[in-house]
Amino acid sequence: MTPRVLISLTFAALIVAVVAVAGWLASSAGGAGVSAEAARQTALLYGSGATLALVAALAAAWAFLDRRLAMPLKMLARDIETAAHANPDHAITPAETGHLAELTAAAAAMMRELADARRRAADTVVEASRDAEREKGQLEAILRDLNEGVIVCNLNHEVLLYNRRALELLHVTGELGLGRSLFSVMNRQPFLHAVEILTDRIGREPAAEKGGSRMPDVTQPFMATTADGRTTFEGRMRLIPDADDKAAGYVITFDDNSRRLAALGHRDRLLSQATEGLRQRVASLAAAAETLEAFPSMATGKRQAFEKVVFDETRHLSERLDALTAEYRELVTGSWPTTDIYSANLLNGVVRRLRDDKGIPVVMTGLPCWLHGDSYTLVELLHHLVQRAREETGAREFDIEASPGDGRVYLDIAWKGAAIPAGQLDGWLGATLAGAFGALTARDVLEHHKTELWSQTHGEGFARLRLPLPAATEAAAEDGRRRPPSRPEFYDFDLLRNQRHPGALGRRSLKSLSYVVFDTETTGLKPSGGDEIVALAGVRAINGRILTGESFSHLVHPGRAIPERSRRIHGITDEMVAGKPSILDVLPAFRKFVGDSVLVAHNAAFDLKFLRLKEAASGVVFDNPVLDTLLLSAYLHDHQALHTLEAIAKRFGVDVGARHTALGDSLVTAAIFLRMIEVLEARGISTLDQALAAGDSMAEIRARQRQF
Amino acid sequence: MPKSVLVVEDEPNIILSLEFLIKEAGYQVRIARDGEEALKAVADDPPDVILLDVMIPKRDGYDVCQTIRANPAWKGVRIIMLTARGRAAEREKGLALGADDYVTKPFSTRELTQRLKQILN
Repeated sequence: MTPRVLISLTFAALIVAVVAVAGWLASSAGGAGVSAEAARQTALLYGSGATLALVAALAAAWAFLDRRLAMPLKMLARDIETAAHANPDHAITPAETGHLAELTAAAAAMMRELADARRRAADTVVEASRDAEREKGQLEAILRDLNEGVIVCNLNHEVLLYNRRALELLHVTGELGLGRSLFSVMNRQPFLHAVEILTDRIGREPAAEKGGSRMPDVTQPFMATTADGRTTFEGRMRLIPDADDKAAGYVITFDDNSRRLAALGHRDRLLSQATEGLRQRVASLAAAAETLEAFPSMATGKRQAFEKVVFDETRHLSERLDALTAEYRELVTGSWPTTDIYSANLLNGVVRRLRDDKGIPVVMTGLPCWLHGDSYTLVELLHHLVQRAREETGAREFDIEASPGDGRVYLDIAWKGAAIPAGQLDGWLGATLAGAFGALTARDVLEHHKTELWSQTHGEGFARLRLPLPAATEAAAEDGRRRPPSRPEFYDFDLLRNQRHPGALGRRSLKSLSYVVFDTETTGLKPSGGDEIVALAGVRAINGRILTGESFSHLVHPGRAIPERSRRIHGITDEMVAGKPSILDVLPAFRKFVGDSVLVAHNAAFDLKFLRLKEAASGVVFDNPVLDTLLLSAYLHDHQALHTLEAIAKRFGVDVGARHTALGDSLVTAAIFLRMIEVLEARGISTLDQALAAGDSMAEIRARQRQF
Repeated sequence: MPKSVLVVEDEPNIILSLEFLIKEAGYQVRIARDGEEALKAVADDPPDVILLDVMIPKRDGYDVCQTIRANPAWKGVRIIMLTARGRAAEREKGLALGADDYVTKPFSTRELTQRLKQILN
C-alpha cells in the first residue's frame, strides 16, 4: 500500500466515523416533552454544525497531507526509479516547501553521485577496451613479424591464437580455425609428451628454488610433424599460468628446421674436406708406395726419402681423420634438439607410461640428477627397452635409476635374472619405436645421443641395461653456486636415547628393513623457542634402494613470519607458504606415509624435536625407531671432525644440490644412509639393535664432550 | 712355449700388417674372419690374447667378448678390442662387457705391439 493510499483511506475512515457518531448522537439525544423537543432541535443544529466543521477540517488536513507529503513522496520515488534504471542524468524535482526539501536534496545528491560513478565506470571500460585493443594490435604486429610459427592452445589443445607464419609453416591455406584441435594439423604425441613433462616439472619443482611462482621458467623442446607426416618442425613449448599459477594452456613456437639446414651445410663442408681435402695426401701416399714397389732396387738414400713420405702422409691422414671425426660427432648431436632434463622427470614419464599402457610395474630408484638429451625419444627408447627386456627375460618387475659418474649420467634398467647377450640386444635396436614420429629406431636414438647401450650382470642374480648419457650443462653450473651453510649439530640426544625398544624389529638386519628418510626446513634453530616447520619431506628406502617415486613433500604454513636469515638457507618465503596447510594438518599424512618404517634423518634430534613438540596438539606420535646419519657417521669415521651432510656426502661420493630443500636433503641423506649400511656391516653392525646402540654410544660421547 | 694371439678381423689389408707385426714380436698368430670363427678358434685352443675388431660379420665383437667372458674356462684370455669408431661410450661398453683394453683405428703399430707385450707379461 503506498503512503498516499494509506493517507486517503485513513481520512476517509475518520470522516465516515465522525458522520456516524454525529448521526447516532442525533437519534439518541433528548427525552419527552416540548422543552425537550426544543432542546433537541438546538442540539441537532449545533451538532450538525460541529460535525460539518469537523468533516471540513478533516478534508482540509487530508488534502494538505496528500499534496504536501504523499504526492511529493510519490514523485520522489518516480524520480529515483527513473534515475536508477533509465536515465542517470534525470533530475530530482525539488520539493516546493521545506518539509521534504532535505530529503529530496539528499536524494538528488545521491543520484548525482550515482551518475558520476556510472560515468567513471563507463570511462574505465572504454579505456580498458582501448588498452586491450592496443595490446592486441601490438601482439598481432609482433606475431606477424616473427619468423617463427606461434600457436597458443588451451589444455584441450584447442587453438586460441596463431600467427601467419604458423599457417605458412603448416602449409595451411585459409584459416587454421580458432577453437579447432591442434591435432588436426600436427601429430599428437610430441605435444602430449611436452605438456606432460612441463606439468610434471611444476608438480616436482621445489617451490623453494623459484621465488614466488611455482611455474618454472622453462621451455620444452619438441620435434613434430604435420598431421600428414610430410614436414618436420622443431619447436619449444612453454606453459601459460593462470591466476592460481596453474597451467591454463601453452604457447608453442616452432620453425622450419633451419638449424638442421645449417647442420647440413656444415656436414657438406665436412664431406668436402673429407673427400677433396684428403685427396692430395692420398695421392702423395699412393705415388710414393707405387714407386717403392716399381723400383725395388732403388738406392738406400732415395728409398728412405720415399719411406719418409709414406710415413709422413700416413701420420697426416690419421690426424686429419681424427679431427674430422671429432667434428662430425658434434654435428650428429648438434642437429637434434636436446635439453637439460631432470632424471626424475624423465623416468617418471617412463614409469607412468609402462604402468598405464602395459601394466608393467617399474620402480624409480636412486638420487635424481640432471642429464642432457631429448626427453621424448629417450622415453620412447626406455619404454621399448623395458618391454623387450620383459619379453626376453620374463622378469616381472623393473627398477629404473639415473646415476651420475665420470662426466655422464647412466640410466640403468635393472631386474632379477640374466643379462641380455650383446647380439640379442643388437637385434632390438633396429626396431622402430612405436610412439615416435617417422621411422625412428632405437639405434637412431642412441646415435642422436652419441652413445651405446649394453647389458651386464649386476650383483647376485641381477642384471641391468646400462645407457650412458651426457651430463647436464645447467646442473654443472649450479654446482658452482655455493650451498648455504648447514645447521649446527643439535644437542638434545635424550630424544634419541629414550627411544622405545624396537622389539623383534631390532634383530632384523639393516638391509632388510623399510626406512623413511626425512628432513625438515624451519623458521630457525630453536624448536623450543617458537621456531616452526616450513617444509617437511621424506622418501622411502628399501632393499638397498631409494624409491624415488615414493616420496612425501609438503610446504607448511608456520603460523608466523619466516625470518630473512632462514629464508636465505632454504629460499622459502612467506608468500610461498601462504595458504599452505599447518603442521597439524600435515603430520597425520606424514604419519601415514611413515607407517612402521624406521625413521632416518641427518642430525635427527633436531627434526625429531619439532615433531615431538607437536605430539600433544596433533595427537600424532612418532615412536618409530630413529637412526641418525650424523651419529652413525661419527661412529664410522670418529677421526673425522666434520659430520655435516655435505662433508659426509663428499666422503661417500654422493652429489648434493646447491640449495637446502627438504626433499633434496632427504634424498641425499637416503643415498648416504644406504652406503653407510654397507660400511656398518663391514664393521660388524648388521642389525637395527646394533645400529641404534652405535648411535646411542656416539650420542653419549658427544653429549659429554658438549659439557666441556 | 710362445704366447698365442688370435686376430679377429675381416679386413685383409690390416690382417697382413697385424700378422707380420705379431710374428715379429715372437708370438704365435691365428686369424679368424668373423665372430663365429673366432668363438670356434677359442673353443679349439684358447689363446693368450685376442685382438678383437668390433665390426665383424655374423656376431659382432661385443657379442664375442661377452660370450667369452660368460665361460669361466676362458677367464685367462685377455681381450684387446679394436674399432674404427672411438666414442667414449663404445670404449666403456667394451670394458663393461669384459674387454681388457680398447684400441681405436687408426692406431700406431708400435703402440699396439707395446700394449700386447704389456698385457702378456
